[in-house]
Amino acid sequence: MGEYKFEEYFDQFPPAMAYVPWQNMDKIYEDLDEALQIGTIFPELTKPFTGRRCVK
Amino acid sequence: MKCACSAEQKRLLHDISVVDFVLVEMTLYLDTHPHETDAIDFYNHYCRIKNQLMNEYANKFYPLSLSTCDNYSKEWKWALSPLPWEGAWY
Repeated sequence: MGEYKFEEYFDQFPPAMAYVPWQNMDKIYEDLDEALQIGTIFPELTKPFTGRRCVK
Repeated sequence: MKCACSAEQKRLLHDISVVDFVLVEMTLYLDTHPHETDAIDFYNHYCRIKNQLMNEYANKFYPLSLSTCDNYSKEWKWALSPLPWEGAWY
């Protein structure tokens, strides 16, 4: 994998392809108990289900 | 089935679960970022903590894993300790 720089290659990406942005470990939850309840230690991955249809 | 665990036992079990979860998350992260040394340090730090907690639990109560069994005592604690469905887990 080496040093993968997501941004560098952005202009070469062919259209109509799905991309997952690279995760960077810049923040960790302070309270690990809370992280266990939430289900991840990375705030950027916290995607709670809000329980309603997509809003236009 | 309510288990007759002491408060300290529950606290230790909870702490082990929390730290173990951190290790699971970090394993997943390191799988895709194998060269990030600060992430590796972070993992090692919590790995040491987990081992301490597991050993503490094994000394005070009973071994939670075979790797924390002290096989120098006269009895094979692993077989004598309660099983999860016998209330070993809270």
